[in-house]
Amino acid sequence: MKLLLIEDEKALATSIQSYFQRENFICEWAPDYENAIEKINIYRYDCVLVDLMLPDGDGLDAVRELKRKYPETGIIIISAKNSLDDRIAGLNLGSDDYLTKPFHLSELNARVQAVIRRRNFQGNQQVRFGKITIDPQEHSVSVENQEIILTRKEYDLLMYLIANKNRVLTKESIAEHLWGDDADLMDNFDFIYTHIKNLRKKLMDKGCPDYLRSLYGVGYKFSEQ
Amino acid sequence: MKLLGRILQYQIITSLCVLTLGAGLFFLSVRYLIDEEVNKELLRSKAKVSWQLRHIDTLPVYILQLGDSLQLQAVPYPGRMLLRERNLLNTSENERQPYRELVFYERVEGQWYRVTISQLLAQRQQLMKAVVMTVTFIVALLLVSLLLLNSWLSERLWRPFYKTLRALDNYQLEKHEVLEFSRTKTLEFEQLNLSLTRFTERLAGTYQNLKEFTENASHEIQTPLAVILSKIEGLFQDETLKENQLLALSEVSEAANRLARLNQALLLLTKIENRQFLAGNEPVNLQPIIGRKLRDLEDLIEQRKISIKTDLEPTGPVMHPALAEVLVNNLLTNAIRYNVEDGSIFISLVPGKLVVRNTGNVTQINPELMFERFRKESTNSASLGLGLALAKTICQVNGQTLTYETEENLHVLTVSW
Repeated sequence: MKLLLIEDEKALATSIQSYFQRENFICEWAPDYENAIEKINIYRYDCVLVDLMLPDGDGLDAVRELKRKYPETGIIIISAKNSLDDRIAGLNLGSDDYLTKPFHLSELNARVQAVIRRRNFQGNQQVRFGKITIDPQEHSVSVENQEIILTRKEYDLLMYLIANKNRVLTKESIAEHLWGDDADLMDNFDFIYTHIKNLRKKLMDKGCPDYLRSLYGVGYKFSEQ
Repeated sequence: MKLLGRILQYQIITSLCVLTLGAGLFFLSVRYLIDEEVNKELLRSKAKVSWQLRHIDTLPVYILQLGDSLQLQAVPYPGRMLLRERNLLNTSENERQPYRELVFYERVEGQWYRVTISQLLAQRQQLMKAVVMTVTFIVALLLVSLLLLNSWLSERLWRPFYKTLRALDNYQLEKHEVLEFSRTKTLEFEQLNLSLTRFTERLAGTYQNLKEFTENASHEIQTPLAVILSKIEGLFQDETLKENQLLALSEVSEAANRLARLNQALLLLTKIENRQFLAGNEPVNLQPIIGRKLRDLEDLIEQRKISIKTDLEPTGPVMHPALAEVLVNNLLTNAIRYNVEDGSIFISLVPGKLVVRNTGNVTQINPELMFERFRKESTNSASLGLGLALAKTICQVNGQTLTYETEENLHVLTVSW
């Protein structure tokens, strides 16, 4: 998978780059508009991450250019601008998602994977992890062909864990993924624990090994080892 | 009261005073002139009567018969001549009427006589009538002409003023409008319009600056925060970190996340206060928003075993749909956050009113203080303390009222529009 990151903040860009490199993605970086256009014209990418405010241009123009050349490329806008107008303008131009800064890298990762899945396989691709098979279109989950009935939150949680497999996920990032702005309603994160416990139980009841490791005080890690 | 109405009021009062005074003076001066005339006439009669009396022996007797107006009375000695006014019975008309009398004394053949000549003052009453009628007529004429003048003035001369007033009434800063007016011949209105144009230009400029500053501040703060958060997340993946280091990192992460949320909330608050969310003309139906929000919060509600009762009609206030979402969200999350285990929430939505009633701890704090920014019940709560301040601001800019009351352990938040 090949990504292009258009972002003027070097420190943020390197974090994002190294995060995706661990995922075995090739992540190229364009620090400004000129570079971005050059790269877009030379290479083909599966997904492009665009910051709207660039030192020498508007990220929306880059989105326009990209849409014209390679309409099948996935586009995610990452911006500090949070106004509704910018969101609507971005989505109208054909970007697939809009993420407001600051964001969790794990959230960005989950969104990039969702976009690539939708783009490459028209959303028909099954997601597999160990003994777990997920059909994203049907929202159905099965362990060795036995279907498991999950609640909406449990399903979202499982998708998020699989998208960020082999990584430490903080409680805040999970809470924000599942509840969005309501995440700050939770005075403690016992709440996530309830969902984790239920999900783990449902998976293990069907003979799935325990993939979930809890790191005390920090968060969780989903891995096959 | 309209300016022209007030001017008219003063004009009427002044005219009435002047007219009354004028009528009085007019009446007095005319009466004086008439009295003078009567006096002269009486004196002329006196001369005639005196002459006749002195030559009474050489004249025929009937000469002296002047009727009612002349009376002779024998007196022992003479007195002073005097002029006076009396009401006497007029035998021909059989009613009392004012007369002017001249009394003098004359000696005829060694005997003193008191001679009284009277003159009817009927003209004076007619004069009174004439004065009253004339004045009433003038007043009526004056009033009618003032009214006509005023309506004509407001129609013609004041037209640019009312146009300016209407434009100001409809002025909306959020639209970055600069008011432009057509030229007028009246110097004052021209000046007013010019100042208003310059004023709105400055306003629009300042507002634009403020908006840009808000946006820039957002960008400037969000970017370093994004860097901090991304670096923390990268560090979490480092397998060599010890448990205590991970814990410390986790606390840094929590604080940074909180800062990020705080910044977002403050920005939203600033944007609402800058009125960057214009209300449309259509009311927003809150019913589906409340339903959706309750579904989102379902598991939180279940976990705290809160029972929800709703009585919702499809209605709502006029406001920006995004703000309606924020308002509902903040009211509901507030009702959940400050609820108790096994508590309850009652939501009622009727035309003109949204009431969220929830069980909670009995509090001594004045409920209105809850709308202050950063006001929290406990310091260790994850709450930012901005939820109700946001709700209040949303209501303020959209012309709704938000009140907070407590009844025993019930907390009641009411939005009315």
